[in-house]
Amino acid sequence: QNGLTKGATYIVRDITVTGNTAYSPQTVITYSGLRKGEKVVVGGEKIGDAVKKLWKSNLFSSIDFYFVNIENDSTDLEINLNDLPELNEVRIEGVKKGKKEEILNENDLKKGKKVTENLITTTRNYLTNKYKKNGFLNTKVNVITRKVDNDSIEKERVDMLVNINKGEKVKIKSIDFVNNEKLSDKKLRKAMKNTKQKFLFRVLKRSKYVEEDFKDDLVSVVDAYKENGYRDARVLSDSIIYNDDETISLQIAVEEGEKYTFGKIDFVGNTVYSDQQLMAVLRIEEGDTYNGVELRKRIADEEKPDGLDLTNLYQNNGYMFSTINPVEVSADGNVIDLEIRISEGKPAYFNSVTVSGNDVTNDHVIYREIRTRPGMLYSRADIIRSIRELGQLGYFNAQAIAPEIKNPNPVEGTLDIEYKVEEQGSSQIELQGGYGGGGFIGTLGLSFNNFSLRNIFNKDAYKPVPRGDGQSLALRLQASQFFQTFSFSFSEPWFGGEKPYQLSTSLSYSRQFRFDPLSRRANKDQSFNIAGITLGLSTRLSKPDNWFLLSQAISYQNYDLKNYFTGLFNFGNGTSNNLSYTIGLTRNNTNVDPIYPTGGSNFSVSAKFSLPYSLFNNVDYEALRETSDAINAIPPAQRTQAQTDALAAADQERFRWLEFYKVKFKGDWYTQVAKKLVLRPSVEFGFLGAYNNDRGIIPFERFFLGGDGLGNFALDGREVIQLRGYPNQSLSSGDGASVYNKFSLELRYPITLGQGAKIYALTFLEGGNSVNNFKDFNPFDLKRSAGAGLRIFMPAFGLLGIDFGRRFDDIPGQAGSRGNWETHFIIGQQF
Amino acid sequence: CSDFQKALKSEDTAMKFKLGTEYYDAGKWNKAHRLFAQIVPNYAGKPQAEKLMYMYAMTSYNMEDYFTSGYRLERFVSSYPSSEKREEALFLSAKSYYELSPIFSKEQKETIEAQEKLQLFINAYPTSQYLPEANKMIKELDFKLEKKAFEIAKQYNTIRDYKASVKSFNNFLLDFPGATLREDALFYRLKAETNLATASIEALKEDRKEIGISYYNALVKSFPNTKYLDEANEMKAQLENLQIKEDSKK
Repeated sequence: QNGLTKGATYIVRDITVTGNTAYSPQTVITYSGLRKGEKVVVGGEKIGDAVKKLWKSNLFSSIDFYFVNIENDSTDLEINLNDLPELNEVRIEGVKKGKKEEILNENDLKKGKKVTENLITTTRNYLTNKYKKNGFLNTKVNVITRKVDNDSIEKERVDMLVNINKGEKVKIKSIDFVNNEKLSDKKLRKAMKNTKQKFLFRVLKRSKYVEEDFKDDLVSVVDAYKENGYRDARVLSDSIIYNDDETISLQIAVEEGEKYTFGKIDFVGNTVYSDQQLMAVLRIEEGDTYNGVELRKRIADEEKPDGLDLTNLYQNNGYMFSTINPVEVSADGNVIDLEIRISEGKPAYFNSVTVSGNDVTNDHVIYREIRTRPGMLYSRADIIRSIRELGQLGYFNAQAIAPEIKNPNPVEGTLDIEYKVEEQGSSQIELQGGYGGGGFIGTLGLSFNNFSLRNIFNKDAYKPVPRGDGQSLALRLQASQFFQTFSFSFSEPWFGGEKPYQLSTSLSYSRQFRFDPLSRRANKDQSFNIAGITLGLSTRLSKPDNWFLLSQAISYQNYDLKNYFTGLFNFGNGTSNNLSYTIGLTRNNTNVDPIYPTGGSNFSVSAKFSLPYSLFNNVDYEALRETSDAINAIPPAQRTQAQTDALAAADQERFRWLEFYKVKFKGDWYTQVAKKLVLRPSVEFGFLGAYNNDRGIIPFERFFLGGDGLGNFALDGREVIQLRGYPNQSLSSGDGASVYNKFSLELRYPITLGQGAKIYALTFLEGGNSVNNFKDFNPFDLKRSAGAGLRIFMPAFGLLGIDFGRRFDDIPGQAGSRGNWETHFIIGQQF
Repeated sequence: CSDFQKALKSEDTAMKFKLGTEYYDAGKWNKAHRLFAQIVPNYAGKPQAEKLMYMYAMTSYNMEDYFTSGYRLERFVSSYPSSEKREEALFLSAKSYYELSPIFSKEQKETIEAQEKLQLFINAYPTSQYLPEANKMIKELDFKLEKKAFEIAKQYNTIRDYKASVKSFNNFLLDFPGATLREDALFYRLKAETNLATASIEALKEDRKEIGISYYNALVKSFPNTKYLDEANEMKAQLENLQIKEDSKK
């Protein structure tokens, strides 16, 4: 090289490759881009490019170029290369076995990988940062490579040793602020969302130091100042002090600056709304502490798409093309004058509204639910509401409903909107057979939620059942030698097609026989038949707001006993009738997914009552009661046949037509407390009463509290109320209670909300109680429990779940039973 | 064991071809289809492949598996552009798409696809013997789209959103200039506007009445002998009465 002058030009005669490399010279030369017969300049671009190209290949540890045999203006070129060593084995020390695989994958430490300096450095940095992020601030990572000796392969290979010393987890002992006068340390610490001091009772967030989070939190500190009017506040310095006890202290010096206030606020460009109207939404007045964060929120709140802010005021009233910009026009002293510049644009109207993706559901079922209609003013709130309501139909994947705005035309003031939907299965089939209750029980259940009744005779529509008209139809048959039940229900959500009057009907019939201990078969001479029919109509209301639903139903049940003695009556032969009217009011604005609501609430209040027969049927119920009380006082074994008959006759008269009223209330709230975590508090109450005390509270329609809440085989109008942690129906007397109340708090976390399956985990805390008499009722005397569970919803199976509950109180009549666990299997939706 | 079962299990492709052809000629599509499915890969590139592919696609068509037949016939057409069966195959592939088109009240993606395929056929064989049938199908598909838009607009009137109904009928009349349902659309537009005007606040009645009467005129002008004449006249009277009420108030 000596004697080469920079800038001298030579013609390349020949190129050779030397050094320790496994690559063929031809490959190297071609790759370098140099050619024989070419002119090269010493220190020039061509050689430089060749070095760069080879270096970039990441295959060599050293690259040298030599000019050899220089004669006149020509030269030979020698490229001297040394291959990078390849990775042979990696040993990782200092972490658990399971983590090793993960580290290898994350850093791509595979056998045969070229070991560059870069690989070593990035691996080290990656691991150091990884553990620092988890609070191991003192993590030391060492990466050492050692050449493989006596290698049978000619390539150079190295073994790698990764030594990780995590050290102790470093906690933050204290966070101190310097120069803060206006805001206290405590307040500023609170503003830091992810960096927290050590504190005994901190459960949700640990006091670890993560540099990135800390940097974010410094911004939060400044934001805290900004929210309090200190617009110029800044962090001067931050330092970490390492304490002797493996903890650190953070010291943050701030400069607070002056406090600013809002000055005059002018609106410019508003013609639709007056200054006063806009002011009422803005809710910021002259003289208020300057708060930039709040100002931004009042103009457009990114977190709440349906919030009350200026943008929504315009967006929900047709001004799709509007823009709003706050501009600081003067900052005289500490007072900031604002001008809110509004460009309203033309009000936009929906031109065409379309739906796509409905290959099962018919148009009319969908279009009637959409609140944005042709010719209507554009409203963002209406779009949001439409998505919610389409999702709640249950025919579409609620997560996948997407509105697409098309052809927005600011000149004409029109836009089109297309709702894209994705059909999902909404039918369930249940076919079961098994042994239970002394014989074979077969069950057939069909439930279709998007049924099409008019196509029931159209054989082409059976794929596999006629669907698409939004009707629901359910059929259930269950039979064994001791009982047969049959139930059928149908509902049409828009009866008549003009208004959302939901018509529902249901029919049920059940028949059960006594067990004959002699033949061990059913005794057909002793039977109990129950037949029922219900007709209901419900309608959406527009007042007080349009989330309300009013429902009414008339139902009739007939109980027919033939030589069949039950705990319900004192007669074995006879009939009882239950004709009642139910009226209910519901307000439900839970959103978005009906299976996993993340917001809104659901209230319902209902009253069910029969006619007050005792007022007009001229039966002396007092006498009847006295008769039965007198006979009931005698132990059954000592009664004469005449007394038994008299009791039966009296009871038959009392229960010929059931007389009662029942009031129920239920409320659920859903709130998103953290990213995906949903909190669901709920409260419910029920009361069953009698008009006439001589007739008493009927043995039907009662509440049974405790357990999984699944209504099992019973058609006496009983209501089974879930209270986990206790055995089924253990919290009510055997005949059922007449008053109950329940409070529950549930925290839910979604594991997956995909279309195939929706899975979420939950923890709960609940309490409730039931009594037989309103006088004994105390809403705060609760049987409490807590636990956790899992729910899986699959369109074909419905909702399945399991809950584990631990009770804190004794089961009535079982002292010392508190503290035990109870497992519940949940089938079907629980509300 | 029947011949068919034996053939299914046999390795003899020539025999399968022969038997499959016999079944095909006898109209036993299902059996032919199963045999052909086994031997299609063996004949790829061979001279018999043209006939086999045609028959294979046709079995799907005859078994009313239009999704498959549309695709296979299309592939046949592109693989054998000089085949004498090309015209028929192209037509039947388009017809397969036509058969897939669902009822008007569901998504019409397939309907539009079928229209495009039929149009391509007509462009390729403007003098084809299948032309009348192709035209008939296109018309039918057109009507389906028309019916869809019409029924949606009409439903708005049923659920008492008269404004949306009027707007949708106006869009309908623009989107389907030569619509079969034009008369009905004009009438229902009048009906919706009449309902709208009747239910209006006083301030808007005048304008809506005017619009309603113009809709009446539009109907009667295009269809002087409309089947809705009586009803339309009634509505016109209703609209005019609206005016009298308002005048009497003044």
